[in-house]
Amino acid sequence: MRVLIVEDERRLAENIARSLRESAGYAVDITLDGEEGLFMAESNPYDLVILDLMLPKLEGLEVLRRLRRGGLAVPVLVLTARDEKESVVALLNAGADDYVAKPFDLGELLARAKALIRRGKGQSAAVLKVGDLEVSTADLTVRRKGKVINLTAMEYRVLEYLAHRPGAVVPKTELLEHLYDFNWERFSNVIEVYISGLRRKLEDTGQDRLIHTLRGQGYMLRG
Amino acid sequence: MRTRSIQRRLIAAVVTSQLLLAIGLASVAVYFIRHQLRKAFDSQLNGRAMSVAALVRYSEDEPPKLIFEDDLVPPPLERGHPDLYQVTSRGRQIAQSPNWSPDLQPFATTKRRYVNFERDGIRYRAVRLENIPVLDQEGDTPSTDVLTVIYATPTSEVTRAISYAGIYIAAGSGVLLLITVGLAVWGLRRGLRPLAELAASAAAISTANWELNPSEAARKTTELVPLTQAMTTMLEGLHRAFTQQRQFLANAAHELKTPVAILKSTLQSLLQRPRQAEEYRAGLEQALDDMARLEKLLHSMLRLARAEQWAAGSARRDLDIVDVAATCESAMERLAPVARARNVTLEFSPNGAMPVRADAEDLELVWANLLENAIRFSPAGDRVCLRLRADAGHGFVEVEDHGPGMTEAELAHLFERFHRGDASRARDTGGYGLGLAISKALIEAYGGTITPHSVPGHGTRMVVTVPLRT
Repeated sequence: MRVLIVEDERRLAENIARSLRESAGYAVDITLDGEEGLFMAESNPYDLVILDLMLPKLEGLEVLRRLRRGGLAVPVLVLTARDEKESVVALLNAGADDYVAKPFDLGELLARAKALIRRGKGQSAAVLKVGDLEVSTADLTVRRKGKVINLTAMEYRVLEYLAHRPGAVVPKTELLEHLYDFNWERFSNVIEVYISGLRRKLEDTGQDRLIHTLRGQGYMLRG
Repeated sequence: MRTRSIQRRLIAAVVTSQLLLAIGLASVAVYFIRHQLRKAFDSQLNGRAMSVAALVRYSEDEPPKLIFEDDLVPPPLERGHPDLYQVTSRGRQIAQSPNWSPDLQPFATTKRRYVNFERDGIRYRAVRLENIPVLDQEGDTPSTDVLTVIYATPTSEVTRAISYAGIYIAAGSGVLLLITVGLAVWGLRRGLRPLAELAASAAAISTANWELNPSEAARKTTELVPLTQAMTTMLEGLHRAFTQQRQFLANAAHELKTPVAILKSTLQSLLQRPRQAEEYRAGLEQALDDMARLEKLLHSMLRLARAEQWAAGSARRDLDIVDVAATCESAMERLAPVARARNVTLEFSPNGAMPVRADAEDLELVWANLLENAIRFSPAGDRVCLRLRADAGHGFVEVEDHGPGMTEAELAHLFERFHRGDASRARDTGGYGLGLAISKALIEAYGGTITPHSVPGHGTRMVVTVPLRT
C-alpha cells in the first residue's frame, strides 16, 4: 500500500510516516505544501491520502475539493486542529472519508488508515480471507489452514496488496507503484523475486496454488 | 456581615426629629396656655376681691361704722367649694365668708400678693388687696378708712383646663407625627426604588450579558447617574478584558494542538515496537526538540498576552528612559548570524539619540522581529535597511527589505495572531505567526504605531513611530 501525507509540519509528517512504515508496512510519500500535495495525489496511484488542513500555498480543504472535482476516488483522511461540528460537516461534505483531531493518537490514526484502505478496495474485515488463506492487517500475520507463515516485510506487502483484491489481475507495474515510495528505485524483476518467495512459503507442501501468473498481464490471488 | 439599611436610618432620623419637634411645640403651647389661663384666673380673682370690697359701706350710726352687706354676696363659683374671703380694716375684721376659719392665715408669713395653699384637700389661690378705699362716701368728706381683702378660689378649674389643653395638643401632635412618618416612609421607599431597580439590572449582568440596562427611573435619578456611569465604564473594561482573555485562550488552545500532536506522535511512534538504545536516544532528543518548540510558543503567547494587557492599560509598570538607537544596535547584533546564514547584508543608519520611555528588552524584541521578517523575505545577496529619524516629538524606525512584498489582502492579516504569510517558511525559522502581533501590542503599549508599506514585487517597509521624551 502506498500512502501520501500532505502536512506542513515536517516532524509530524515524519512521525506518521515512520509509524505507517513500521506498523503497517506501507510505502509513504511526504509533501509539505498543498500545491505539491494535489499534484502528487493526482499523478500517483495512492491507496490513501492523509491531509492536513492548514497548508501553505493551497489550503487542505481546497486540495480535497480539487481532488474530488478531478474524479479521484482515493480515500482521504483529514488531520484537523478543529473538531467543532460545523467544520467536520464541511470536511465530510468536501469529500473527506474520515478525520482525526489533533493531538491524535497514533494508534487510532493507524487503525483508521487501515480501515479506509480496506474500504477503498471493497473489503470490510480486518482479516482478509482468500480460500484457506488469512491475512490479518491488524498485526501483519499470515495463516494458511490455520498455520502461521513467516514472511519478510516486502513479501507481506505484496501478499496484502493482492489479498485486498482477490480474483483480480494485478499488473506488475501496479504492484511496483503501490509498494514503493519515491525514494526507491523500481526494478520490475524485484516483484518476481517476492512472488517466487511467497509461492515457496505458501504452496510448499503440494497445497493448492494461490498466486496465479497471467503471462504478460500480471498476478492474481485466488483460493 | 451585618448590613445597615439607609432606609431604616433615614426613617429613624425623620421619626426622631419629628418627635422632638412635636414635644417642643407641645411644651411651648402648654406653657403659653397655662400662662394665659393663670393670668385670666388672677384677674378674675382680683375682680372678685374688689367686688367683695365694694360691699363694705358705712352704717347710719354715729359715728358711722363699716358694715358688710352679706345679702349682696354673689353665689360661690362652685357648689361645695365656695370661695373664701375676709375683709379687715386696720386689723379689725369687717366681714368673712361663712367657711372662713380663724386658723386660715395664708398671708401670715409673706408679703406677696398671691399665695397658693391647700385646705381639706382642695387647692386654693389667694389674693391680698391692701389699702382699698371704702367706696361709700360719708357726706362730702372722703373716707379715710382703707380695707384689706383676702380672697381665695379653688384652682381645680384652671388646672383641669391646662391638663385638657396638654392632652389635646399631645394627641394632635401624635396624630400629625404618625401622618408625617407615614409620608416619610412612603416617600423614602418610592425614592429608593430606582436604586433597587439598578441593583436588579446589575444582577442581570453575566458573561453572556454585558449590557447594563438601568430602568428609566434609575437613569433619571441625579444621585444614581455617577454610579450608573461608573458601572457602565467598568463593565465595558471588564467585557473587553474578558473577550480578550477568551480569545487568547481559544487561540492558545488551538495553536497548542499541533505542537502537542508532534510531541505525542514522536513519543508514540518511538514506543510502537522494541528499538535499539540509539534509536530511543534519538527519539528522546527529538521529543526534547518538540518540547522546546512548544515552550517557545508558550513563551511567545504569554508575552503577547502581557503586551496586550499593557496596551489596554490594565497593568502598570515603571519604565526608564532608554535610547532607541542602542536597542536597534542590540537587535542588529542578535540577527547578524541569521543574516549571514541567508547571505543578507544588514545596514543601520542611526540619527542621534532618541530617548523613549520604554523597556529596552521590549524594543529590542520589536526590532528583532521586524528584522527577522525582512531577512526571511529577502533574496540572497540583498540588503535590509534599519533607519532612524526624529520628527515633531516622534521617533521613526524603518525596516526595509526588497523581497516579494505583500498584496493588500496579505497586509490586512499581517498583525493577526497566529497568521503566517507563508506557513512553511515561517515554520522553518520556528515562527508561529506571533512575532508581529507581539510587536504591535508592545509598540501600542508605549503609545506608538506600526504601519506596513508594501508594493508587491518591490519589497516591504515597516514604519514604527514612538513618542520621544526630552
